[in-house]
Amino acid sequence: MDNVKEIQDKLIAQVALSDTPREILKSSELKQLYGAITSLPVEERGNYGKSINQLKRALELAITSKELDLENAAVETIDVTAPWDKNTGRLNLLPAEQGTRHPLTTEIENIIDIFTRMGFEAFESRQIDNDENMFGALNFPENHPARDGYDTFRTEEGFIPPAHTSTMQNRILKAGKAKLEAGGQIAAVSYGRVFRNEDLDATHEHTFYQYEGVFVSKDATLGQMIGALRSFFEIYYGQKLKTKTQPAYFPFVEPGLEFAIERPVALGGKPGDWLEMLGCGMIHPNVLKSAGIDPVIYRGFAWGGGVERLVMLKHGIEDIRHFESGKLQFLRKFL
Amino acid sequence: MIISLNWLKKFTSIDMSVSDLATLIGARLVEIEEVVNLGEKYDKIIAVKVVEASKLEGSDHLSVTKIDDGGVTDGVERDENGLVQVVCGAPNIKAGQMVVWLPPNSIVPETFGSSEPFKLGSRKLCGEMSNGMIASARELDLFDEHEGILVVDNDIAPGKSFAAAYELDDYLLDIENKSLTHRPDCFGVIGFAREVAAIQGRAFETPDWLLDIAPNFDMPNVEKVELNVNIDDANLSSRYQAIVMSEADAGKQSPLMIQMYLSRVGIRPINAVVDVTNYLMMLTGQPLHAFDYDKLVAVADGQADIHVRAGKDGEKLTLLDGRTIELTSEDIVIAAGQTAIGLAGAMGGANTEIDENTKNIIIESATFNLYNLRSTQMRHGIFSEAITRFTKGQPAELTAPVLAMAVNLMSEWSGAKCVSDVTQAYPVKTTQPVIETTSAFVNEILGSEFSSDEIIKTIKNVEFTAEATSDNKIKIAAPYWRSDIHMTEDVIEEVGRLNGFDNISPLLPKRDFAAVRLVEFDILRSNLRKIMASAGANEVLNYSFVHGDMLKKANQSADNSYRIVNSISPDLQYYRQSLTPSLLGLVHPNIKQGFDNFALFELNKSHEKYDGLNDEGVPVEIDSMALIIADKNSQQGAAYYQAKYLMEFLLHRLGVKLTFKPIESDNDDAFFAPFEYRRSAMVTDGDKIIGVIGEYKKSVSKAFKLPEFAAGFEIDTMALLEAYNNTTNSYKPLSRYPATDRDVCFQVEQSVNYNQIIDAAEVALAEIELDSEITPVDIYQTENGETKNVTIRVKLISHDHTLVGEEISAAINHVTSAVVAATYAKVI
Repeated sequence: MDNVKEIQDKLIAQVALSDTPREILKSSELKQLYGAITSLPVEERGNYGKSINQLKRALELAITSKELDLENAAVETIDVTAPWDKNTGRLNLLPAEQGTRHPLTTEIENIIDIFTRMGFEAFESRQIDNDENMFGALNFPENHPARDGYDTFRTEEGFIPPAHTSTMQNRILKAGKAKLEAGGQIAAVSYGRVFRNEDLDATHEHTFYQYEGVFVSKDATLGQMIGALRSFFEIYYGQKLKTKTQPAYFPFVEPGLEFAIERPVALGGKPGDWLEMLGCGMIHPNVLKSAGIDPVIYRGFAWGGGVERLVMLKHGIEDIRHFESGKLQFLRKFL
Repeated sequence: MIISLNWLKKFTSIDMSVSDLATLIGARLVEIEEVVNLGEKYDKIIAVKVVEASKLEGSDHLSVTKIDDGGVTDGVERDENGLVQVVCGAPNIKAGQMVVWLPPNSIVPETFGSSEPFKLGSRKLCGEMSNGMIASARELDLFDEHEGILVVDNDIAPGKSFAAAYELDDYLLDIENKSLTHRPDCFGVIGFAREVAAIQGRAFETPDWLLDIAPNFDMPNVEKVELNVNIDDANLSSRYQAIVMSEADAGKQSPLMIQMYLSRVGIRPINAVVDVTNYLMMLTGQPLHAFDYDKLVAVADGQADIHVRAGKDGEKLTLLDGRTIELTSEDIVIAAGQTAIGLAGAMGGANTEIDENTKNIIIESATFNLYNLRSTQMRHGIFSEAITRFTKGQPAELTAPVLAMAVNLMSEWSGAKCVSDVTQAYPVKTTQPVIETTSAFVNEILGSEFSSDEIIKTIKNVEFTAEATSDNKIKIAAPYWRSDIHMTEDVIEEVGRLNGFDNISPLLPKRDFAAVRLVEFDILRSNLRKIMASAGANEVLNYSFVHGDMLKKANQSADNSYRIVNSISPDLQYYRQSLTPSLLGLVHPNIKQGFDNFALFELNKSHEKYDGLNDEGVPVEIDSMALIIADKNSQQGAAYYQAKYLMEFLLHRLGVKLTFKPIESDNDDAFFAPFEYRRSAMVTDGDKIIGVIGEYKKSVSKAFKLPEFAAGFEIDTMALLEAYNNTTNSYKPLSRYPATDRDVCFQVEQSVNYNQIIDAAEVALAEIELDSEITPVDIYQTENGETKNVTIRVKLISHDHTLVGEEISAAINHVTSAVVAATYAKVI
């Protein structure tokens, strides 16, 4: 056995120096080791075989890594400070007409633009967060059944890729507290990427975008919430709209509603065809409390909706999976 | 959850069409996913009497029957007595029975709505004419038959519509459960009916038996058996009630009407004992469980000694469905003595299962900690009707009236009698809070104009107690079944909802006139996107998670990635450490799709474990922008310069000046890892490294099947913002005097970098009292040459006079000698 170890060290040393490391697999030392098996007593063969296999694995690993090194070594250094390569000349951009922005980021910019004009500040949502921001501060006690609806991913450390942009709500409330108490209002939208542990199909993505609004003042009402949302969609679609709500349950609002609009002209305009746009409600007093805001004095409303839905409706996109496919065929259809 | 409209109507009247009702429920209670017309299925189908039944000669199982359809079916052959002949294959057919007949031209309900609905006719079977068919429960799409054709109740008149006889002229509402998570009461027909009454503006009256939270149990005059019930940990269950009943006949069926109702809402009728528990669960939301008393006693060394306790680690339990599960301390277990006999709220154990020999039963009516049950549900994958209700938090007060009704129905349907006292453990009693509010406060939150009386009437309709007090307040308490009402806001929701949120007039919040400015970072990002698109590049978005192989291919260490532990797919196992690997992965597929020359870019976030946590204790997020440019066809010159050209275009548009510095050695930082250091530069802002630009390692290029011509960059966009914010206006007024250009060619050693020449020239030019600009003209190197010729153009500008020859020569000489001194160049 000691012999095997010795040969292993020797062969690996050879690999480090060789320009053709794979050849070493054919070395006579290795052949002799294999050959020796038959001359051993039967009861020793198992262990011996194992140690040979181990050697072979170690050797394979060393060879693969050496081959990579060799490949990477045959590289010419270039002058990275030069404007172009020697003996060539001035360069050109790619044709401007083939450049595009992603339809989702374009739409997010549109949405944010409307809300900022309405007086809402905008904050991007995080892509990794903790349980407290994702659930705890939003009135979801541990093991609450409403958590089931979110199908959250988790990391080894217990961090969460947020399943809603509301993961920013506690931060926004805390950041706005001083302004609120100085007689102002909190008016903010957070937007960004969210994650749900779901199987992919044409209408389901595990990764998608949301936009979320928070408004807190001394006299916020549910009527104001409906008014603000209607106003947003009327600006977005450039027309007067009919809207309706239906009761819904989200632990972080009370009352909780789903908000729908009647299909606007831009999307084919059908009376009686309702499009569910987002979930909304009056911020639950516990959520205000967890940000240190006194729910007796202040009230607020919040909402959250999906960006993909808006974009898919707008362009008639048939499959949500296109968005993150990186296919130029798809991307170049936009501006 | 499926709600039967006819079942609802037993508790409240409904005076609108089903579609209007569905709309109203949608607006004021819960979304209805679908309304199914159940009655359609039973069109033309009637109850008939079997007048004669005789074996069909020449067949071992068929019978010829003559049925009396009351003469209601047209166009069917009849004998002289007006009877219709039907051949029937069921073993249980007998003269005198009332059965269900599917006449010719009717459709077998089991096939109704399928792609091949089966339409009946009249045809000969073994020489005998058979008109339509006599149906089994399965053919009627009700439930699995027990013994053949369905025999219905004898008091139905022949010819009566089957649907009318069993109230199958019904509509089924498919309810979207999720938005009722906080409403345990709505998971029973009575609770749902209460809401339906109230949203129509009607007062609901709960049946008396359900209001009676301390019911009397009729005890027959028998010797009582001992029953002990203990809740070992009050956190696990707030109430556990049980009673023993004997002489239950497990072979008996529940009334057919009940079976019809259970089956239409998705519950399979089993026998009277089981049906009682299921029926009451569907009616009230309170699940019940029945144990075999004798088996339980045998397990517990001769005593009926029930404990509610936590599971023990390693403890095993075989469930009713035959699975053996391993319990944990988060599971709630029902134990007889020491032995587990049921997974509380989820499923009973096989060791106390009711079977056809069961005589004596224990009925359990209890409530359990919903959080424990929820984790049990997830851990063991149990999604029964019972646990769905328990995890909504059924109130403890509900167990008693439902148990009392169960005892009544057991005795009525199965003949069982009580033989023990109702035994209970009730360690934690909760009381409903008294909530005080005012109409002003309700209206302030809703933006509505309700009077006190309207508010009181609204919530009284759903059986809250509410009264106006002398100081203009409203004092409110919720009925026991509303475990979701804790505070004023909960009541306000009820008022708004039951009256319709859509009836509140929308208003806009008042705001001041201060304009809101986007954060600078968002402005920068928006600009970056526009600039890159104008340079012909395409913006992409990639998943935030990648496969472990992708990290490996990009030369990044998986140890540096946050790992997702519950991913649906290995493709989503690791957080990205940088954006570059995902972009690398898109090059080959796009080339295969026929795109030869393109640049892809992404602005997004990445996360590295090595970056640690921020002040909030969550991982640091890096905002970056990555780009890759690739050309399937080979091009002159290194791809590096094309990437650099794009980056310089970008920087020029932003007015930011960054430096490209050679990299001395391989760098395993996540940003740098995919890049070949000898053909890459670090992008720096002063001394600060903010990104990398270059070509990729050979191994990386091979792994991602990149074409020869491929390069890219990745820069920290937050750092770019900082550089952008430090940029000063570089505009210089135009000169009225003509500028002078001079080309100078330096021959330098190959190892001399272009920037060494430019830097020396710029320092020298700064010493001259003239404005100047330097642009590259040519970089030439002979094959195998040791030197290269770098030609630059120096533009000299004066703002106060026209430059003369000597002045120009002096300036250029100053520049050339500085370059020569710095680089040992030869001027040629």
